[in-house]
Amino acid sequence: MNRFMDVLENILMPIAEKLNNNRYLTALRNGFMVALPFIIFGSIFVVIANLPFLDKLVSEEAWAAYQNALGPASASTLSLMGLFVIIGIGYKLTEHYKGEAIYGGTVAIASFLILTPQLIEFEITSEIISGLESGVMHSVGGVIPTVSLGAQGMFLGILTAFVSAELYRFFVQKNWTIKMPAGVPGAVSRSFSALIPITLTLSTFLIVRIIFSYTQFNTLQNLIYTVIQEPLTALGSGLPATVVAVLLIQLFWFFGLHGQIIVNSVFDPIWYTLNNQNLAAYQAGEILPNIVTKQFIDTFIVGIGGSGMTLAVILGIFLIGRSRQLKEIGKLSAPSGIFNVNEPIIFGLPIIMNPLVIIPWLIAPVVITFVTYFSMASGLVPYPSGVIVPWTTPAIISGFLATGNAWQGALLQLVNIAIVLVIWWPFLKVMDKQYYENEKKAQS
Amino acid sequence: MKRILLACSAGMSTSLLVSKMKEAADAKGIETEIWAVAQDKAPKEMERADVLLIGPQMRFMKKKFSITANEVGIPLDVIDPMAYGRVDGEAVLNKALELIGE
Repeated sequence: MNRFMDVLENILMPIAEKLNNNRYLTALRNGFMVALPFIIFGSIFVVIANLPFLDKLVSEEAWAAYQNALGPASASTLSLMGLFVIIGIGYKLTEHYKGEAIYGGTVAIASFLILTPQLIEFEITSEIISGLESGVMHSVGGVIPTVSLGAQGMFLGILTAFVSAELYRFFVQKNWTIKMPAGVPGAVSRSFSALIPITLTLSTFLIVRIIFSYTQFNTLQNLIYTVIQEPLTALGSGLPATVVAVLLIQLFWFFGLHGQIIVNSVFDPIWYTLNNQNLAAYQAGEILPNIVTKQFIDTFIVGIGGSGMTLAVILGIFLIGRSRQLKEIGKLSAPSGIFNVNEPIIFGLPIIMNPLVIIPWLIAPVVITFVTYFSMASGLVPYPSGVIVPWTTPAIISGFLATGNAWQGALLQLVNIAIVLVIWWPFLKVMDKQYYENEKKAQS
Repeated sequence: MKRILLACSAGMSTSLLVSKMKEAADAKGIETEIWAVAQDKAPKEMERADVLLIGPQMRFMKKKFSITANEVGIPLDVIDPMAYGRVDGEAVLNKALELIGE
């Protein structure tokens, strides 16, 4: 068993190192962190705008006015998430190269806008709008479609941010900058020194846009969406990929490596995109397309005490524990566990490298993935609405918020806790007995 | 004044340790500044620290942090998992002081 674990650790550790020290994945993860406050601000207002029962208390007009008044809060942040992620990635990647990070961020967003169709096409199907012929395509220019800055443009945005930051760095290193004579204030010469690299970077993207306008895809937007984003999100929204992701998180943690942060750096673009698709549908009052989203993972698989749903384990310790050691760990882990910080129990129980708990540790989250998936697929629990609930939000509250203020979401978390508790019960019993007998032996 | 920097994924679980370490330092009568940050903030914060301790779950960041640590000339190490799990402030504090002393 020990040799086997050594072998596994020797495989997992380099993977963790590679994924975490890869500059693109690091920029991606940190870029999302830049966007997070905006995402959460928007989420708060989606929750407030959709308070339960309020729509039954006030008149229809008052309800609509209320929702309209709060609408811009999420429409300008959560729904335009791509905007902030792109700036964040461009900034962080350029910062990594020790360049002028703010130009990295702004050149990324400008490059992305150059690639974005600044036109909305639509078809008139009814006669409501007079003066426009029905059955043919019309278009409005001078606009930036918000969908491109939300779910639809996410992958292109991420790629553009990487490429533009690289190009910017490349052109800066070429040192084709305009040198200012000594005595010119630093800020002035810096603004000029950025001019040539930015001009060259943006020109490159302009050329790409022009080339693509002659292809069948029309825009790079379309190509990335149909060739990369759609297949990847379709794969990521399925159960098999989700189970693999969940198992990997658990496996990394079993070796004491932060599984969440490692797996997220690969899955976050997919999960956030799925999340935003749901949000767009939720805001429009349409049927939500996805079960697996960022919140599916964060709220229902992780958000019950942390990875491995350790709040249920702590509960089990309080119910079973006779040994002093176990009870101490329970007491130590409970306060932070409520807020989904579970390092004390993972390292203290311990869960890491403990053959006794590997079975419930790996099995319980997979079972919960199935239970949560099918309780949503069957219509018992609403799909995640697309709001982002901060991961430190305690269980029950987070389930309610994540499912668009639905009590079923909170109930599902309670059911999940019970299931995890049952799975862990026999293993905790054995562990408690071992510890208890050791303590008795030590006393006598 | 000993300035001890802790880093983990979000600076959450290490901040649990911070208060315990401060208690231990006060009991010993050692003047310290101890603070916890998220991993992406660590390189910048290292500039004003005497030592960096990494949460064991982020031990795969050690190589990357070593580069910055060498630049600013401070020691670093991964916190012992057992001490981390028990939130043993005193043990971690001793480890930090030992690293600074070297």
